[in-house]
Parts: sequence; structure tokens; C-alpha cells
Amino acid sequence: MSTVQTLDLESSAETETPRRLFWTRKRRIAAWILAAWILSGTYIVSTDQQALVTRWGRVVEPRVGSGIHYALPWPIDSVFRLKVNQLRRTVIGGDIPDTVLGRLQPVSSQFLSGDQNLLNIRVVAQYSVQEPRDFLFNTADVDRTVGVAVESALARRVAHTSVDDILTTEKSAIQYDVLQEAQTTLNNYQSGAIIASVNIENAAPPAEAADAFRSVAGARSDAIRIVNEAEGYASDLVPRARGQAAQLLDQSRAYKEDKINHATGDASRFEAVAAEYSKAPKVTETRVYVEAMEQILPKLKKLIVDSNGNLDLTLIGADKPPVSQSGDAPK
Amino acid sequence: MTFKNKFVWLVAAVAAVIAYLSFYTVRETEFALITQFGRPVRTVSDAGLHVKWFYQSILRFDRRLRIYNPRPSEFLTRDKKNLVIENYVAWRIDDPGRFVQTVGDVSAGEMRLHDIIWSDLSAAFGNQDLESLVSASPGKLHTTALLDNITANGDRTALAQYGIHIADVRIKRLNLPEQNKESVFARMRTERERIAMQYRAEGEEQALTIRADADREKEEIISTAYKDAEKTRGEGDAEATRIYGQAYSKNPQFYKLVRTLESYKKVLDDKTTIILGSDSELLKVLTKGEAAAR
Repeated sequence: MSTVQTLDLESSAETETPRRLFWTRKRRIAAWILAAWILSGTYIVSTDQQALVTRWGRVVEPRVGSGIHYALPWPIDSVFRLKVNQLRRTVIGGDIPDTVLGRLQPVSSQFLSGDQNLLNIRVVAQYSVQEPRDFLFNTADVDRTVGVAVESALARRVAHTSVDDILTTEKSAIQYDVLQEAQTTLNNYQSGAIIASVNIENAAPPAEAADAFRSVAGARSDAIRIVNEAEGYASDLVPRARGQAAQLLDQSRAYKEDKINHATGDASRFEAVAAEYSKAPKVTETRVYVEAMEQILPKLKKLIVDSNGNLDLTLIGADKPPVSQSGDAPK
Repeated sequence: MTFKNKFVWLVAAVAAVIAYLSFYTVRETEFALITQFGRPVRTVSDAGLHVKWFYQSILRFDRRLRIYNPRPSEFLTRDKKNLVIENYVAWRIDDPGRFVQTVGDVSAGEMRLHDIIWSDLSAAFGNQDLESLVSASPGKLHTTALLDNITANGDRTALAQYGIHIADVRIKRLNLPEQNKESVFARMRTERERIAMQYRAEGEEQALTIRADADREKEEIISTAYKDAEKTRGEGDAEATRIYGQAYSKNPQFYKLVRTLESYKKVLDDKTTIILGSDSELLKVLTKGEAAAR
């Protein structure tokens, strides 16, 4: 080997320079690559994210907040970023458009209510990350897990509620109960997900029975209308009656007053006259009698007959035939 | 390159390969099963960097909880009602050694789960009336206890036989078979018609009650008022009678005269013809002369 070297002294001297250059360049490149590799461990977590770091697959940093951070470069450390506050959505039931046939294809969204009615229910659940570590590593498919937890809670809740309650009063109670039960299930699975809301977007009877349900709604509003009309009648009638009653009472009071006043008036008049009468009874009797006759007689038809003579009825007939018929018989 | 150099390189390469084969990582989501010439030696469940003999190999198994949705199946309840039940099973691999020997992979595992759960479910529901699965009165429901029981039983079997842990068996959906739905819809319709009729009748009932109450109240108000009014009138009449009586009884004779004359004024009008005898009190003076007046 040395002999070769001495023999090719000139040529080796000539090749020495590029060879050394080659090595230094290689080292320099290697150094750059090393530096780049070390620096590649730098990572940024944005404001809406949290990060989790694993080293050789094991979690070393379960929660890293936003900012710039450093982790050992690949393949030692891995960084998982997660939007913890983002609400994720999962839909249970409802119709999805069928792209092939171009119409709505009902998904299996029919539930059996407590009184054995079928109902189409569509529920939207929203959830977010509670525990990043569990969320990332404990369940194979978080979305599906949340979906089945909500769906089973819903099925159970609906199975002991009557259809009328589901459609009317119980809706928000069902939402609340389903949320609670599904959350308990998810906690048991250590899924690391927290349900923010469960919302019944649609609960309706199937098309085959929808008309009948509408007619019930119609009947209910009819009943309300009839009752309102009756109440209107009552609230018209009773005050009127009260008014009428007040009128009756007032009239009777007026009558009483009137009677008493009249009586008092008549009495005092009579008493006054009677007092005078007792002073001169004969004269007063005559005066009263004559005065009365003066008032009465001018209006009357009068026939004056001799007290012992007979009455000739033709006298009356000759004067005025109809009067003769109604004319009084003589005493 | 010299032979010595080549040898050094070779040794280094072999060492590197051995080192590479001796270290392995286990992630949080998996189990590692160390096998030695195909025979399982041990299970590693701790995540992190581990060492093994270079001749041993590893099988990795996902340890995460997974959801298995069997196809909806029809069950017959004790009271001979058909019910379509859609359930799900939450499960995971718990003992990879047993799992790999008896099952193999996830889809085979799901088939085993289906076998275990289905027989338990059909046995359990066959023992229940429809009422205890679907009922508007909550006291009658036994579903939760039933499913907890199935979960516990299934878990025991699955763990012993297949190394599978069943975390939960739950009903996702209760429904009726397609062929029964038409009759259910018919029942729903008639039920709705009945309810609609009931609503109308109840409304009518309420309205009639309200009207009748109002009428009664009106009568009551009016008649009470009449009663009171007549009482008042009576009092007025009585008082007037008393006053008249008191006044007139002082001079009854004069009263008789005055009152009789008063009534003549009213009774006798221009349709009356009166026949007066010439010797009547009024005309006596006219016919018999001034002396008759005395």
C-alpha cells in the first residue's frame, strides 16, 4: 500500500485537495442536518389548541398550553395538537340526501315511545374535549362513541315517555336527561369527551300517521276556542245580570221612597183637611160633595128624570144609537 | 478500503441491526405482545421504550375502546310481540395473548361478540313482556338491570374465552318489524282520532259547564235582587199603609166621603151616561126650590 502511495505521489498530492474538501463539506452538511433535526423539535400551539407530547409513545406532557415549545425531535417525541374548545357535532337520526336517487333517504331514526307509538326523531349532540389524553387514546372513534351513548340514552328515555309528552311538554326534560345519561356513559368509558348540548331538532310522527296527529292538534285548538267562547259568554252575561240586579234594587228603593212619601203627603193633607172638617163637618161635607160633582158631571152624559116618572129609553137611542146600547139601565 | 475496515463496518452494521431489533416502543393506544418464534412470551401494556431479545418479535394490538354495532335483530318477547332491537357493544382487547390465539383480529372478535351477546339478549328479552321494555310508566322498566346483567355475563365469558373485555351492552334503538308497522300506524291513527274526539268532547263539556254556571249565576243574581227588591217594596207598602191607617183612622167617616168622591172622578168618564133622579141630592135644589137645601 505504501509503495503505491510513493509511486503515485504526484497524483495523490493532486487528489488530496478535493478529497479533503469532500470530507469537510460532508461534515458541514452533516452538522447542518443535525442542527435542523434538533431544531425540528420546536413546535407552536395556537390559542385555541392544547398539545400533548409523547416520548417513545408514552405521554410525558399531558397538557401544553398555547405558545412556542420544544420537544425532542422525531422519532423520540410526538406532538398531538387538539382544538379543545371546538364544539364537535354528531347527528342521530334525521334524513340525509340520497345522492344517487336525488331524494331524501330516511336514516334509521324511528324510535318506539312508551305508549308504543313510532316517532321519527333527529337529535344533534355537541361535545368537546375534556381530557385530551383520554380523548386521544382511550376510544377508537370518539364521534361514534358519543353518538351511540346519546342514541342509547335517547332510546331509553323515549321508551318510557308517552308520545304526547315527547311532542309537547317533555322535550326539554328529555334533552336534559339524555345529556346527563350519555355523559355518565362517556365518563364510564373514560372517553375524555364532554357533551355540551343535546338538542332534539325534530320529533315528528311518521308520515303514515301525521294527518291523524295534525287532526289532534286541530281538535285541541277547537276545544280551546269553544271554551274561550263560553268564557266570553259568561263574562258578558254575569256583569249584565249584576247591572240588572242593581237596577231592580234601585227601582225597589225608589218605589219604597215614593210610596212612603206619597203616603206621608196624602196623610198630612188628609189630616190637615180633616182638622178643618171637624170644625164644620156639615158644610164641609156639602162643599166637598158639590165640588166633586162639579168636576165629575161636566164630562158625563146626563139624563135627568123625574123621580117618580118612567124613563123613556128612546130618548137615549135618539141621541146617539151606539150609546143607547151601552147605556146603563135605570136603577 | 481494507479488509479490516470492511470488517469494522460489518460488525457495526450487525450491532446496529441487533440494537434496532432489541428496542421497541409501545404507544398509549396499544398492547405489545412479545413472541418468541411464534410463541407468546409476555404482554407489554406500559407505553414507552422497551428492550427485548433481538430474536423476539412483537405483535401490536389496539387497546382502545371500540364500538361494535351488530345488525338490528328481531326478538320475540314473552307476550309474543316482535321487536327489532339495535344494540351496541363497547369492548376492547384485554388479554392480547388469548386474543391472538383464539380470535386473531378485530372483525373476528366482533363475530365472537355477536355470538355471545345475541344469545344472551334473545334469552333475556324472551323472558320479558313488551311492557317491561317499552312503557310510559317508568316503574315497569327493567331494561337497565337486564343489560347490566348481560354485560356482566358477557364480560366474564368473553374475557375467559377470548381475552376481550366487554365494557357495556346497550340498546340503541327499539323498533317494530317492518311488516308490523302498518298495523301500528293504523292503531296510532285510531288512537289519535279517539284523542281528537276526546279533546273536542272535553272542550264541549267545559264550555257547557261554563255557560251553565254563568246562566245559574245570572239567575241567582237576578232572583236575589228580585227578592231584595220585593222586600223593599213590601216595606214601602207597609209603611205607607201604616201612615194612611194612622191618618185616616182619626176620621174614618170623612175619609170614606173624600175617598169615594175621589174614586168617582176616576171611574166616571165621558163614555158614561148617568141618569139622575130629579130628587137626587144634587138636583133637589134645582127641582124643589131653595128650601130643599136646608
